[in-house]
Amino acid sequence: MSSSTEVIAPARRETAARRAPGGRRSAYARRRGRSGLAFVTPFMIVFMLFMIVPLIYAIYQSLYTTKLIGGTTFSGFANYSTVLRSGPFWGGVIRVIIFGGIQIPVMLAIAFFFATIFDLGVAKWGRIFRAIYFVPFAVPIVVSSLMWGFLFDPAYGPFNRFMNAIGFHNFNWLSTNLMVPAIIIIAIWEWTGYNSIILYTALKSVPRDVVEAAILDDTPLWKIILRIKLPLVRPAIILLVFINTIGAMQLFIEPTILNNYQAGVVTNTWTPVIDIYSTAISNGEYQLGAAMAVVLAVVIIAISVASLVFRNRRREFT
Amino acid sequence: MLSTRRITRLATTGLAGAAAITLLAACSGSGSSSTPGGGASPAAGASSATHAAVLAGGNCSSSATRLTFWAWVPGMSRAVTQFNATHPSVCVTLEDPGAGTGEYVPLNNALKAGTGAPDVAEVEFDLLPSYEIQHYLVNLVPYGANNYKSDFASWAWSQVSQGGAVYAMPSDFGPMGFYYDQATLAKYHITPPATWAQLAQDAAKLHSEDPRAYLIDFPANDPQWLMDMMAQAGAWPFRYSGGASLTINWTGPAQEKFASFWQPLINSHTVALITDLTAGELTDMDNGSIAAAIYSAWAPSYFAPDVKRSMGQWRASALPQWSAGASVGADWGGSTYPVFSESKHPAQAAQFSEWLTATGQSWNIVKTPPSSLFPTYLPTLQSSAFKALAYPISGGSQPNQVFSAGALSIPQTPWPPFMTQVLNQGATTFGGVMTGKETLAQAFAAFQQQEVSYAKSQGFNVST
Repeated sequence: MSSSTEVIAPARRETAARRAPGGRRSAYARRRGRSGLAFVTPFMIVFMLFMIVPLIYAIYQSLYTTKLIGGTTFSGFANYSTVLRSGPFWGGVIRVIIFGGIQIPVMLAIAFFFATIFDLGVAKWGRIFRAIYFVPFAVPIVVSSLMWGFLFDPAYGPFNRFMNAIGFHNFNWLSTNLMVPAIIIIAIWEWTGYNSIILYTALKSVPRDVVEAAILDDTPLWKIILRIKLPLVRPAIILLVFINTIGAMQLFIEPTILNNYQAGVVTNTWTPVIDIYSTAISNGEYQLGAAMAVVLAVVIIAISVASLVFRNRRREFT
Repeated sequence: MLSTRRITRLATTGLAGAAAITLLAACSGSGSSSTPGGGASPAAGASSATHAAVLAGGNCSSSATRLTFWAWVPGMSRAVTQFNATHPSVCVTLEDPGAGTGEYVPLNNALKAGTGAPDVAEVEFDLLPSYEIQHYLVNLVPYGANNYKSDFASWAWSQVSQGGAVYAMPSDFGPMGFYYDQATLAKYHITPPATWAQLAQDAAKLHSEDPRAYLIDFPANDPQWLMDMMAQAGAWPFRYSGGASLTINWTGPAQEKFASFWQPLINSHTVALITDLTAGELTDMDNGSIAAAIYSAWAPSYFAPDVKRSMGQWRASALPQWSAGASVGADWGGSTYPVFSESKHPAQAAQFSEWLTATGQSWNIVKTPPSSLFPTYLPTLQSSAFKALAYPISGGSQPNQVFSAGALSIPQTPWPPFMTQVLNQGATTFGGVMTGKETLAQAFAAFQQQEVSYAKSQGFNVST
């Protein structure tokens, strides 16, 4: 959410500055600047303390190595070299990219479908259903992972029993090959409601006259939805892709919890964040963990920049 | 040239990335759940309190010396209250930051930061060398610890000693045994096996009679359990006695023998491959799908709340032996109470730790539920009152008789000084045995390489 404010705010400042005659800022602009500063200062202090300072500290830490025998020494980019050469770390990165690559489009399609139904107002008790679909988002992820863990449980879970009953013997949703699909199902359940609410709000803001004009032209409903409404809510979709991608890259809780139901599938390098956690906390290699976090952040930034470039090429928001 | 807007947008993206790093930091900081594939000790169980709950202390005189004490044993507050009542000059406040990892993570952070650590905390036997090597512990010898040496099982005392120093007071432990549902065993006409060879035959017999049932499970992905089993087999893989030298040997003849005994049972699915102390294992045990487990004395108290069908049917018998007639025990888990060098009142802290672990006054409280600790303190361990304790899950039987029999014959297990890494990596490496991805021997070979590489990266002189 804050990203859109960040984009808009400087543009407004430019306008204010342009109002000053002869290139000099007017008293009004100066006053406005001062009060603006007063408004952003509390945010900036918290932002500096809890975002920028820890970030710089993490980067600083990542340049050192502490050994049980020998203590702490400056090691330059040795930790980064370890991360860049770590097969398991990049295996985890590829796994979460595959996870996000499937989960996000499927979830957005479902979310758009529900948002459209609510937007059309054809569903009875639409408001109640909207609330119901939103409920999974309100369930803490740890709780929903535990719940799904019992549903997927290899020995007693109803989902495996169902698969057995329809002829798939020894079916195991939490086996090595199906763990990612199982987590995709959980993530879709968790996040569809939230995404459909955002899409619903975006659909609501599509100008009525555009839709009415289309109706007067006898445009079929599916064309109105896919050719008029969908392109108009594209900024919201891109925002959701952006947010969900960052979320997918940080997959941690679901596999961690499911590990209690099925031994030997979720390894300590299964996702990058699990890898970072076990490196820093279990192995006591905090500085190596910091380097991994920085590398993961760079990967996330790279994916985000790529999406921005793509967005610019498509002339979104311009 | 980039337009202002584009710069802003790129900056925004950068900030999103920065947010990601901070989120990562937040994730790792608040991790209360066990690390995938372990890290959590068996005693860690299901508790995941992230915030310390203050459980006892407070009603002390204002002149009393104040101590902070961290522990997760349920019912420990009763002992603290008793200590405060009988020692008016000291005031102990008990906090429970959560079991196992739940405590170790904030403890490590506080010790690293040099402030905020408790005076005394519960630390499991296997974790103690990890704190010793970082010089976080107070030598308790100047505070009279050696006066209690003869009160403790000798293997337990040597676990808390290094050189001439004593770095903690030993408390409870988990002697292992064959823990079985007597009704299920009777159904298959099996009696508790005295040797592992007999156990293998019984397991095959039971599984062939009912392919959905197992005699025992083999939770290879619990490295603590696995290593304790290896200790009994004479295949302990580490040698360490402080300092920079360490021996790691997962691929010697003893280890290979251990692996080659279990591998056929794994291959033929004669043993169940399921993580210990999980809902799945406990359900299987309750409904008779798993007839027995190689458990420790404390494990039944984790199992009992899940028991519905088999209440009163569970019995303990001695741990099966590698050679008939032998009597080699094994210990799974157990805790010690060290004093931390950050403490401003080491004398009083040592006094509390000694009272808690080495007095009948304390043991009369902590041996009873909900604490149900199994003592390394001989006067309690060898008392007939303790051996006669009965539990609803075990009907009229007295499991402590059996568990205490092997308590003095436990092999030495010199833990490596980076045990959280061993538990974490072990859970992943041996997890592959559970899914059939690799054999036990292959996992041993892989683990050997992983541990040697980690130990070297930590600056140790490693011999194999």
